[in-house]
This record gives sequence, structure tokens and C-alpha cells, in this order.
Amino acid sequence: MTLIPPENLERFTQAPASLELYRITKKFGDFTAADEISLTVPPGTVHALLGENGAGKSTLVKCVMGFHPATSGEIMVGGHVQEIQHPSDARKYGIGMVYQHFTLVPSMTVTENLVLSRPDVPAAVNWKQETARLEEFMATEAPFKVPLHKRASELAAGEKQKTEILKQLYLKSRILILDEPTSVLTPAEATEVLALLRQMTVAGKLSIIIITHKFREVFSFADDVTVLRRGKLAGQGKVKELDRDTLAAMMMGGASEAKRAPSAPPATGPKPTAPASTRRTALRVKQLSVLGDNGITAVKDVSFELAAGEVLGIAGVAGNGQRELMEVLGGQRPAASGTLEAHDQPYRGTRRDILTHQFHTLPEEPLRNACAPMLSVAENIALRTFDQPPQARWKWLLNFRAIRKSALPLIEAYSIKTRGPDTPIRDLSGGNVQRAILARELSTRPIKILVVSEPCFGLDFAATDFVHQKITEARDRGVAVLVVSSDLDELLKITDRLLVMSGGTITYETPTATADVAVIGSHMAGHG
Amino acid sequence: MESFWLVTLAILAGAVRGGTPFLFVSLGECLTEKSGKINLGQEGSLLAGAMTAYAVSHHSGSPWYGVLAAMGTGMALGLLFAWLAQLPRTNDIAVGIALMLFGSGIAFFFGKPYIQPSAPLLPGIPLGAWSSSSQIQAALRICPLFFLGLLTAFFLAWFLRSTRWGLQIRAAGDQPSAARALGISLKSVRTWAAMAGSGLAAVGGSYLSLYYPGAWTEAISGGQGLMAVALVIFARWDPKMCLVASLLFGGAQSVGPALQAAGIQTGYYLWNASPYVLTLIVMIITCSTKKSLAGAPGALATGE
Amino acid sequence: MAELSATSSGQPGSPGLAAPTPGPRLKRAWGPAFEAILVPLGAILLALVLFGLFCKAQGQDPFKVYASIYKASFGSWFAFQNTLMRTAPLMLTALCTALPARLGMIVIGNEGALVMGGIGAVIAGLAVPAWPPHLALGLMALSGMIWGGLWISLSAGLRQYRGVNETISSLLLNYISIAILNHLVNGPMKDPSSLNKPSSFPIAEEIMLGRITFGDFTMRVHWGLGYGLVACVILWFLMQRTTFGYQARFIGANPKAARLGGLPVNRTTLITCFLAGGCAGVAGMVEVAAVHGRANESLAAGFGYAGILVAFVARFHPLAIVPVSLLLGGILASSGILQRAHKLPDSTSLVFQGLVFLVILFSDSLYGRFKIFKP
Repeated sequence: MTLIPPENLERFTQAPASLELYRITKKFGDFTAADEISLTVPPGTVHALLGENGAGKSTLVKCVMGFHPATSGEIMVGGHVQEIQHPSDARKYGIGMVYQHFTLVPSMTVTENLVLSRPDVPAAVNWKQETARLEEFMATEAPFKVPLHKRASELAAGEKQKTEILKQLYLKSRILILDEPTSVLTPAEATEVLALLRQMTVAGKLSIIIITHKFREVFSFADDVTVLRRGKLAGQGKVKELDRDTLAAMMMGGASEAKRAPSAPPATGPKPTAPASTRRTALRVKQLSVLGDNGITAVKDVSFELAAGEVLGIAGVAGNGQRELMEVLGGQRPAASGTLEAHDQPYRGTRRDILTHQFHTLPEEPLRNACAPMLSVAENIALRTFDQPPQARWKWLLNFRAIRKSALPLIEAYSIKTRGPDTPIRDLSGGNVQRAILARELSTRPIKILVVSEPCFGLDFAATDFVHQKITEARDRGVAVLVVSSDLDELLKITDRLLVMSGGTITYETPTATADVAVIGSHMAGHG
Repeated sequence: MESFWLVTLAILAGAVRGGTPFLFVSLGECLTEKSGKINLGQEGSLLAGAMTAYAVSHHSGSPWYGVLAAMGTGMALGLLFAWLAQLPRTNDIAVGIALMLFGSGIAFFFGKPYIQPSAPLLPGIPLGAWSSSSQIQAALRICPLFFLGLLTAFFLAWFLRSTRWGLQIRAAGDQPSAARALGISLKSVRTWAAMAGSGLAAVGGSYLSLYYPGAWTEAISGGQGLMAVALVIFARWDPKMCLVASLLFGGAQSVGPALQAAGIQTGYYLWNASPYVLTLIVMIITCSTKKSLAGAPGALATGE
Repeated sequence: MAELSATSSGQPGSPGLAAPTPGPRLKRAWGPAFEAILVPLGAILLALVLFGLFCKAQGQDPFKVYASIYKASFGSWFAFQNTLMRTAPLMLTALCTALPARLGMIVIGNEGALVMGGIGAVIAGLAVPAWPPHLALGLMALSGMIWGGLWISLSAGLRQYRGVNETISSLLLNYISIAILNHLVNGPMKDPSSLNKPSSFPIAEEIMLGRITFGDFTMRVHWGLGYGLVACVILWFLMQRTTFGYQARFIGANPKAARLGGLPVNRTTLITCFLAGGCAGVAGMVEVAAVHGRANESLAAGFGYAGILVAFVARFHPLAIVPVSLLLGGILASSGILQRAHKLPDSTSLVFQGLVFLVILFSDSLYGRFKIFKP
């Protein structure tokens, strides 16, 4: 098997190489995404790259992978300076990357995907021969098994992640870059995959850079750590010599010292004392089943009740039916069977129902699911109120002045960075879109029921706190809140009660105060 | 009873005769869509191809040069499509409509002098020479381009399944982000696919002007280039199914004329609409708002 | 990239409104508007240059061709009226593409809706030959609007309820409508005296649509022009200034988000497409009631397809449709002179339309590329 054709590569296939970055800078126009960053990965070690969203981690590794060549700086592989201008260069030097988003082609089988990933795909593929080779690879070298004949679209998230890693091993990559590899895995799967990779580095087969924002993974998995903040090097060192507080301080910088570190106790208000059962049921979901995009049942027989003045969390690994459930609650997807009731009345998600029950929804990825990108910030904020006076006269004539006027104080209160209320919302950054939609759902009308999904995705620590505080405030006003999130820490912090969703059903329920993370984890994995 | 058999035979012969242009256009569209873009401009390629083929055949005296020239014209239009459709903020459907207009404009403009003169046509292969019946002989006289189309269908199926380029086209069409991560250049893959696809459509056009009906007129195409898009949906993006679908549509197209030839006049003009109605019915049956179509390339109509 | 954008996300406590970028106030306020006007104008100029090169390649002096086009379209009162006669149906058919485009749909069934509207108008006109002209015309317009409207609603319904691509279905409906027209004028509605060109029975002379008159002065242009202008203005107001228009624009920008707000997506889509098809149907009624007096294949004269182009050039803005229709009307009006004076075939205007269309789409990719328009 000669998978890596170029001449001088034999040494890479023998042992893992070292990787050194020397003063890498990457600019996009006037914006410096990575500023003179240097780091060293000795052979056979794991190096963690830590930082908040937007700190420049992805930018940096994309330079290494040749997706966008660095503006300046040098990359050394095995002690030699190498020009990496294109992904194929990175591959040539034995550097492989496992992405946060899968890079498998859904309609192709695992075999097809693996063969296609090779740098030397033959002009005409002899499938019999390739299959035989792959089966042999699976039997001898592969640390774990994946079904070769299945289409990638039929694989579970964990299997896909394993396939991505296998792909790199099959390609004989000796330096592996993992971009938040555990975000789609259950805690058990994550531990298993990381442990296997750890074994391979200890055995001297791999060097690894892992991008993460989970401290647990840094401490249990990495030898060295580099912390980035706003494109700059914020700290570096051996993991053994560092503790959580030091890392947190590095990530957040001196200015935010007063702010909470991630491990600190939650900054939420007092939790309500009355038990949920005595309060009025605001939302009741009864035996709800929903079909996914592929026509296969994604949510099966889900029932739960949400009381006024309570925050209910739904935990689970992404892709277990949460998105489909959210879409039904938001009126964006029809239910296959089952009913929704708001305040003991049937709820169908029509505009009248929304207004009557004051039922607001904030889905994940708001620019894609909750915004009209071409319309202005003010027009987007007006979605809940445009047909009410004073924004509409006689129910049909729009009053643009009133629409702009009611947007201005919200832009101020939610610190939405925009040139003005008339700017198209797609020109705003991700975090600001999130704030604008949050402002719309929380503050344009009184609310009684609020459903949010991944409310803090892509926000920094401080903004996350702000959102959590808003949710807690709403709860204290007596709003019934449902939070769907794949971030268990977030749910443990802000909810009163937790449901676990796995395989499209609710598998576990517990009050948050007495929740056991291990039990929740095993239910997320579908066991227990 | 005899008229029943005559009608059936005429429809079967019509399926092959009328289905061949569908075959080329739908194979071309299938290839283009597999790379992730919809080309509605196939109609323009078809017309421009028909005109070029006829003109070149007229001047050179060889219909086969005409077919080759048509392919060249089609590829040029495909290049134009690929370039425009991959610019930022453009939409492949709109570019297709523009090319439909432009391609037909070019074809009519340069084709004006060729409406009268005659050109050597493609020879038919007389597979029915054994029979004494002239009707059977006529029905079994088959254009070599049909066999070429047959080969193309099977070749394309193999090409997409078992070649590097085929796999790259499928990756680009199904998951552009994955293709990019594999270092595949979306731009060049899609450009080549669109050029080859548009070239095939133009060969379908050359069949129209050089075999059946076998003359260049401005009304030569009945919208085969557009119906190809529906055919590909019907065929679930499978080249071999494109063959089946093309024969079906060719048959539907020949129902009206076959009935008229058999002396049945009722609803002649309505029968002319049968391929379009059939296309519509096929789309109504196969499409669904609830789920994405099985076999559809993931990047279609996503603007990516 | 997602990570990049999040970097610039706001820090709490920082002022909400970013400091206004330096630069003249005028530019800040009007930069995008200038861009929206200058880019399409530039595109049309580029198309003219390309067309000139094309003519040059055909051995014609491009400047003489331009001069002929101008003379035949805007050069004289007579020519200008010729242009205006073509402007009327163009405005109406352009709306058939422009309105659904606001909902994110590409409908190109203009020709079919026009034909169906023409058939509807003829049927109504034949039913009430003795009615007072105003009433009869009103009924004909209404009938044309309903037939054309239902025709495009069919496409919209198939899209909303069956997921059928509206571009393809509306195009197929064009062919089907022409088959229906042929069937009717060769069969049930055939006037036996129309031998060369099978046609329906003619509608009564008294209920034909009259010419525009100012006091004593009568133009050759019929009132269809008025229908077109009124439709453009009303529909602009509907889309831009009413809650219905807000709903439609929101749905067009993101149907998923619109559903989140409980907006009636299907109903809004169907109504918008009905209005759009209705406009094309009225164009058919105008062609019948003001020009042909009967239904025959002259109805499918290409105004539908030209309307698609008008809508794209006008960037789907109902008011911008008016000047663009005038321009294209002029070009259509000049195709005769190109044939007579320059020996260019009548398909020359089709080539020109194709060029304009391609260049306009190309120009779409230029928005935001010019720093000068940045606010």
C-alpha cells in the first residue's frame, strides 16, 4: 500500500513528526484573526488549543491545513520549514484534520468515502480490490470498527466521528488535528474515542493537536496547552503545571477577572421554592411524534409538561430529535401525531395562538431559523408586533416610523452592534444576531411561554452570562421556560428540572438540584 | 384490431425516435446536477446544438462533423453557465433561464439562412430489413445516435460509480463542504460537469435537426431541454433510469401523431400536451414537501 | 468563518450603536440607493456595447444600428406610441415574475397565464356581447385575472403542498396552456370563417378596449397602458407598505423564520401568486380586448418571456418595472426596422434580450464590490 506517494515522506510514515508553528499571523482585510502565534508539538504528544469561540483557534489550524495560507510566519514539520499553500500540501506532510462538522459525503458508503479521501484515487476504481484492502485494514490496523458498506448518512454521530478518525489513520496521517471532536458524542463515546487516541500517541504512532473549550478534556488528555484570546497568544505551558483557575484567567484576560470563571457557582437569582406540581401547567406536550427531513421518525411519543415559573431543560447529544422537537414547538414543522396544549387549550402555532398564549420561540442558529436575513434589524425585531398598533394602522397599513422607534431602545438595552435599525440583519455578526432575536423574543411583547434552543452557541462568557440572566429573570416573572441544549453544564446551571432526550424519546427525568451527571450521561448515550 | 397494433408499433417506434433527444439532454442534466447545479439552459444548448449541427453538416457535407460541432457549441454554453452560476450572489436557475433565452436567440439568429437549404442527414440503421412490411421497416430504422446514447447511459453510470472524477463530482454535488475539505476544487469540477452536460444536450439537439424531424426550424424543440430537469427527478439521478424515463417520454410525445396517423382526430391538440402533463404528473407524484428526495444531490437548490 | 464573525460580536456594556463611519452624510444615506440604480444601468450599457460588437461582427455599423433602434422606438411621437403599445403587456407580465420573486420563487409561467387570461377574457366577452361596454370590459378583465391567477396559483399550490419546483411547473404550464388554446380555437370555439389562422369567434366591436384620449386628442395607445401603470403602483404599495407585504417579504427572505412568527405562509404564497398570475391574465385580456379582438395563437407572441427579463432587470421592484418595460418595449418596437434597414433577422432582439439578461445576472455579483457605494 503506497498511500503517500511523494518521495521524501518515508520518515513520516515511520514515526510521528514534530510540528512547530513560528509566529503565524493571519489577516482578513484589516482584521487580524491570528497574531504572531508560536507553538510546538513534540512527537507523540497531545497539544490542546484552548480558547473561547472566535479566539482564532480554527483560523490557526486552517493555516496549518493549507485552507488559507498564513499571512506571515513559518510552519515546521519534523524540523524542516515547509510551505503549506493547499490542503494537499498538508496531506503530503502527513498532517490530517478531523473536523467539527463531518466531511463525509452522505450519499456515499464508508468504503467510497475512504477511497475518495486518498490523495491518489485511481482514475478508475477497482471496487473488489479496494474493498478487500479496506477489510484487511479494518481487521489489522484499525483501533475500532465501522460498517464499510453503510452509507455515511445512515451512520450515527459517534460512528461518523470514528470514521473520520479512521480515515486519517487509513491515510497514514502522523499529525492529527481534532476540531472539538467530542461535541457530537455522548460523554461515554467521547471518553472512549479520546482514550484510544491517547493510547496511539503514547505508543508513538501519532502527534495530536486538539481544539477544545472543555477543561476536562485538556486535563485528562493533553500534555501541553496553548490558550488563545482574540487572536493573540494568551498563555502556554505544560498541563501538569497549570490549574483550572489559571487557564480560565488566560482565556478571559485581565479585563474579565471580576467575571465568573466557568467552574464558579452560577450567577443566577434565587430558585423558586414552590414545587412545580402546584403551579399552573403552561405547556403540555402529549405523545408527540415527528418525522425528520429524511422521512424517518425523529421524535417518538414524547410527552412532558412545563409549568409557569419553571425552567425545564432538555439535555442530549445533538441530533437525537431535539431540532425536530423545537421546530414543532416553533410551528416550523408539522407533527406526525400527538398534540400540543398551551394553558390547557389546543395549540397549533398559528399567529393567533402565538398572540393569545404569548408563546415565543428562539431556535438554534437564529440567522438560519429565525431571521429574514435581507430585512433590516428593525423589521426583524418587529416580527411579533408588526400587525399590532402602533406598528400597524387598521390592521393592514404599516407604520415604519413606529417599527424603527420601537427597535431603538432594544438595540440599546441588548447592546446590539449595528450601524442602525435599517441595516440588513445579515450584516451583523453572529453574536449580535443572537442578541437581536433574543431581544425580539424576550422584550417586544409580554410572554408566558418561552422555548429556547442552544441560546448561547457562539457567544463569549460575558454574553452567555447575560443570556442566562435574562432567562432567569423571565422565569422569576412567572414565565414557563424550556431550554434545549447540548451543553450539559449550561443546563445544570440554569434549569430547575431536566429531561434527557436520546434516540428521539425522553429517557430520563430528574430535578436539577439532585442530578447526577454520570446517570444523565449514560441516559444520553441511550443506556440505563 | 389492426389499427391497435399499428398504434402500438407507432408508439414504440416513437418512443425510440422521440426519446433519443430526451436521453441526451437528461443524461447531460443528470451529470450537471450530480455536481450540484441545475441547468435550465439545456434548452438553449439543445437549440444551439441543433442549429450548429445542421449548418456544419450543410457546409461540410458530413452530418458527423455536425454532431461534433454541436457538442462544441454546447460545451461553450456550458462554460458560460458554469462561470455565471458560480459567481457570488447569482442563482443557477436564473442563469439557466437567461441562457435559455440567449441560446435560442443565437440559434435563431445564425440559423436564419439555414431554414431553406438542405443538409446531409444522419443515416438510419435498417434493423427491420428482414420484414416485408414497410411499417415495420420504418419503425425499426434506428439512428446510430440512439445507440450512442444507450452506451453513454451505461458509461455514465459506471463513470459516476467507479472513477475518480465521478466520485469527485458526486462529492461536490452532495456535500460541498466535504469536497472542499478533500481538496476538490468545486469550481473546476462543476465547470467540467456543466460543460460535458451541456455538450450532451447539444448532441440531443443535433439528433433533432439531423435525424428526426431532420430539418432546422425555429420550432424544432418542444421544450425537451426543460423537461429534462423533470426527467432527471423522475429518474432519481440515475443514468440508467434516465434511459427508461426518456423512452417513456418519447412514447408519450408520439401518442398524438400516432393516433392521428391511425385516423383518430379527437383531441389532437390536447395530446400534444401529453409530455408536459406527464412531466407534471411525475413531479407531483415523486416530489414531497415533507422529505428531501431520495437520491437527490444534497447541494441542489441550496445556493452552495 | 462562523468563529470569525463571533469575534466581532458585541461586548456587553459597549455602546449599542457603533460609531457612525466617517464619510459624507450624503454617501452614507444614499450609497446603497446609488448602487441599486447605477449597477443595473452599467449592466445595460455593457450589454449595449456587447450587442454593438455583435452587430459589428455581422458587418453592421453598431452606431447606425443604435440610431435605428432609437428612431424606431423613441425617435418620433409615432414611434413612441408604438413603444407604449408594447409597454402595457410587458408591465403586466413582468409583475407575474416580480411578485412571486419577493417570496423567493422564480415563476416563469407568464406566457401561459397571459394565454389563459386571454381565453378567459374571450369567453367572458362572448358571453355578454350586449352589456354596457364598461361593465363588459370589467367582467372580461376580472375573468382574465381569475383564469391567469388560478393558473399561477396552481404552480404555487403544487410547490407549497407537494414540493414541486415552481419554475419547472410554471414553464410546463406554458406549453399546456398553448395546447389548450390550440384545442379551443381548432375545436369548440372555432370561428369557421378563420381559415388561415384558426381563431375563436370575435368579441363584439362595442366592448373592445378603447384608445387613450385627452379631450379631443386621441392616442393610438389603448387603455391597457393605464391598467399596467395602476397595477405596478398598487402592487408596489401592497408589497412595501402593508402588513401583507411585510409578511410576503419576510416569507421570501426565510420561510422557516416566517413560520416561527406564525405567518400564514401557504395563504400568503397562494394570494401573491394569484395576484401575479392575475396581472399576466389581464395582459392577455388587454391583448384580446384592445388588439386582436379574438383568441388565437398571436396571444403567445413572447410578451410573457420578455416580461421575465423585465422583472429581473427591474430587480423585482414593481415601480422599476415601469421604466424597464418602456426600454424593452422600445427594443421590441424596433425589431421591424432592424430587419428592413439592416437585414438583421427578427431574432436579433432575442439575442439582445439574452445578452441583457446574462449581463444583468453577472452584475448581481458586483453588488458590494465597489467601495465607493459603501455607507
